[in-house]
Amino acid sequence: MTVLSEAGSAPTHGGRRAIRRSPYPGWFFLPAALIYGVLFLAPTFASLYFSLTRWTLFNSTFIGLDNFAQFFREPFLVQGLVNTVLYAAITSGLKVVLGMLLALLLTSAIMGRGYLRSVVFFPVLVSTVGVGITFTVLMHPTQGMINETLALFGIKGPGWLVDPRLALFSVALVDVWKGVGLATVIYIAGIVAIPKDYYEAARIDGATRWQNFLYVTLPLSRPATATVIILSFIGGLRTFDLIWAMTRGGPGFASDTIASVIYKQYQAGFYGLSTAGNVVLFVLIGILVVPLTMFLNRKQGHE
Amino acid sequence: MAGLELKSLRKSYGEVEVIKGVDLSVTHGEFVVFVGPSGCGKSTLLRMIAGLEEITGGDLIIGDKRCNDVEPRDRGIAMVFQSYALYPHMSVYDNVGFGLKLARAPKEVRDQKVREAARILQMEHLLDRKPSQLSGGQRQRVAIGRAIVRQPEVFLFDEPLSNLDAALRVDMRMELSKLHHDLGATMIYVTHDQVEAMTLADKIVVLNAGVVQQVGSPIELYQRPANLFVAGFIGSPKMNFVELSVEEVGTDTVTVSGKDIGPTTVPADPTSLKPGDAVTLGIRPHDLTHQSSGNLVGEVSLVERLGNETNVSLRLPSGAAWLAVLDGDHELRIGQSLPLSFAPARAVIFNASGIALHRKHTGPQIPGSIAEA
Amino acid sequence: MKSRPSIFLGIIAILVSALVFLVPFAFIILTAFKNKQQATLLDFSWPDGFHLWSNIVEVVTTRNWMMVTAFINSTILTVASVTLLVVFAAMVGFVLARRKTRWNGLIEFLILAGLMIPPAVVPTIWLLQGIGLFGKLHGLVLIEVAYGLPFSIILYRAFIATIPRELDEAAIIDGARPFDVFFRIILPLLWPVTVTNIVVQSVGVFNDFTNPLYYLPGNANATVQLTLYNFQSQFNTSYNLLFTNILLITIPPLLVFLFFNRHIVAGMTAGAVKG
Repeated sequence: MTVLSEAGSAPTHGGRRAIRRSPYPGWFFLPAALIYGVLFLAPTFASLYFSLTRWTLFNSTFIGLDNFAQFFREPFLVQGLVNTVLYAAITSGLKVVLGMLLALLLTSAIMGRGYLRSVVFFPVLVSTVGVGITFTVLMHPTQGMINETLALFGIKGPGWLVDPRLALFSVALVDVWKGVGLATVIYIAGIVAIPKDYYEAARIDGATRWQNFLYVTLPLSRPATATVIILSFIGGLRTFDLIWAMTRGGPGFASDTIASVIYKQYQAGFYGLSTAGNVVLFVLIGILVVPLTMFLNRKQGHE
Repeated sequence: MAGLELKSLRKSYGEVEVIKGVDLSVTHGEFVVFVGPSGCGKSTLLRMIAGLEEITGGDLIIGDKRCNDVEPRDRGIAMVFQSYALYPHMSVYDNVGFGLKLARAPKEVRDQKVREAARILQMEHLLDRKPSQLSGGQRQRVAIGRAIVRQPEVFLFDEPLSNLDAALRVDMRMELSKLHHDLGATMIYVTHDQVEAMTLADKIVVLNAGVVQQVGSPIELYQRPANLFVAGFIGSPKMNFVELSVEEVGTDTVTVSGKDIGPTTVPADPTSLKPGDAVTLGIRPHDLTHQSSGNLVGEVSLVERLGNETNVSLRLPSGAAWLAVLDGDHELRIGQSLPLSFAPARAVIFNASGIALHRKHTGPQIPGSIAEA
Repeated sequence: MKSRPSIFLGIIAILVSALVFLVPFAFIILTAFKNKQQATLLDFSWPDGFHLWSNIVEVVTTRNWMMVTAFINSTILTVASVTLLVVFAAMVGFVLARRKTRWNGLIEFLILAGLMIPPAVVPTIWLLQGIGLFGKLHGLVLIEVAYGLPFSIILYRAFIATIPRELDEAAIIDGARPFDVFFRIILPLLWPVTVTNIVVQSVGVFNDFTNPLYYLPGNANATVQLTLYNFQSQFNTSYNLLFTNILLITIPPLLVFLFFNRHIVAGMTAGAVKG
């Protein structure tokens, strides 16, 4: 991978010119390419084959699309699929809305702004497992602080993590609690980057605060919105550690996602099926995120 | 002692040729300025000499060595960049000494050379500072200092003054001239500013679209531009042009006339002309004078009165926009007709392809001065 | 715009944020101070006595000082993988930003793919076993490097694009070889983004749970996140110890947060917006 240079066109000297070394040598790619190629790309490509096999790590039997058929036949696996998309949609939707609102609040002249920014952002840095365990305790149906507090007001709190209809949403809420700080920070960066001239022009045109938001802030922070949506949507589709720390996919299979199914099948020794789960997740991300990215970026191009 | 020889030097990026065969020879100690509009290839040509751009074809000879494929560090050159390119994380001392350090020069030698360069440039007191603590002019000195310590055969300057304010630029220009005189090294200097070119150069190379338009001393370029491009580029304000046709061809004169100017006989080399040919006449704004019996008349469209002289923008009957710089103060109204005249000997005649038809007397025509369409 | 801070809105925001974001942390701290009996109540009450120290001692000494091993492992993991990440990603970012070749499109595609696609777990385990790195700490180091590269490369490339190329050229004229240009000129100038990289990636690696779970089974190699996960079942009834554990592993990110808040925020937003 040296500089593209044609054969010399100086006929008097004939032959090829010596190629000088580029100041930006290709071998700088080598260490990263080696690690990335062997430990990320190679397994990703291998997964395409192994997902079509019954596999014990030592030998594999080709069984065609059986693993995938199973994925779409077994109700608990199908539920995992549905849950994954639901979880991603809920978390990214809430992060966009709350992140935007918090960012608006935290870019306005508000008392305690520095403190508020810190406090909203800090959970992003804390161990997911730790957060999961803490909220499992707080969401305990009878003894948990959340329901005890609700009881003070005479409200009978739900079984956050034990009610099969609620478990997934409860975990999603904790995910939002932990991740909204990042969304906020991205929005803050986006909003701060909007030139003040626009607001001044809008003010001269007599815009109200609401119109300011609607016609200046919202359209001009669209790149931030795209980022938040894509980032949290991908994160939501891939989510594993929080669900595993809080419900292990339970009760039953009520809060299973593809990532937790992958782990369960791996533990159970169904390596082919587990890998098929990986491929399903991979395809799911492909068919959801790529169009989403294109959609968000096209809208952006309109500005 | 190192001169420099460029033999049909070419550069292309894929299909696009940006340097289209440049021939040039520079003798040792000469101050050569490459000048041209932006995008003409002057910086590319300089970077090819420096070794920062691959050479697609032709030969680059520095001293008596073919340097096409020689690493920049082995070419005996040093370069001063437009942005100075000082290493922001190093002190001035380290910036200047970096090249010597890379060459593993002993510490005492390095120290002595850095201090010598600092002395020449009167920046000894700046050695401990970081580039960010320096003014524009000081950064410029450091950049030059970094070039000096390399003791190069050839100095290369890429628009070094364009980031300085006007007053400082004039000072630095003089210092560069002095430095050239003191060091006696070959210097190649790229600029788009023709005033810099005129004041600094022993030899100017005018480039346009990757082709050398003319090579010569500043005065030569001013008085005997080889073609329309050089005539329009060198000299400020720009030369005025008007389209005319040939009336009569003499031995070393040609009589031209047109809508704007009545029959005028101008000294020129008429060998390639015949009556009826379209030509362009060029005359510099300073060569126009206000005379009631002038050979042309224009309508005044703008007047700038500077006291010692008056700049008058005019529109000729054909619609051509001209500028006249008249000595002294003239009270003129916009819209009034202004008769002007010029000495025919001051005018230049260009043929239909834009080549100047100077009368062949003093000195030979400069080779390689053919305009490309 | 209003120049005076909105006090009313501020007070409400502070109260709500305290309720939502601070109470959970307060709960962790309070529980870590309690004894076993009181902690079992899971309520938001003042500790009966100061039991933090005995809780810490118990957590740390459990299972043959496993917590200490875990902290050492996590430290090695974090330091080693982040060091490699910084150097390798900066090298790639440098060449990628500076040299335009027909490969760039492919390389950028692979980088984006790495940001999106979840790693194929079992094939990776199979591969790690094949090259003898499965269940080894240095194997996990390389895994963390592989997974962290895309983000770091994007950060570096964006930053390097803002460093004028004339600096490289000045260095080349001064006689610098490619190696010198990178290590003497570029890498020092990358310091701000390197700090960001170090901080963001350290937090990520230190808090990583999934990858150690898959690729580093066995107690000998446990990382702090794995230890916490294992303690979850072991301390099922000893909430004081569980929360002491959470408190302990929250300290490193807290320190990072206190000292490098600005860098993290800058890095995460920069990387996110570019990606």
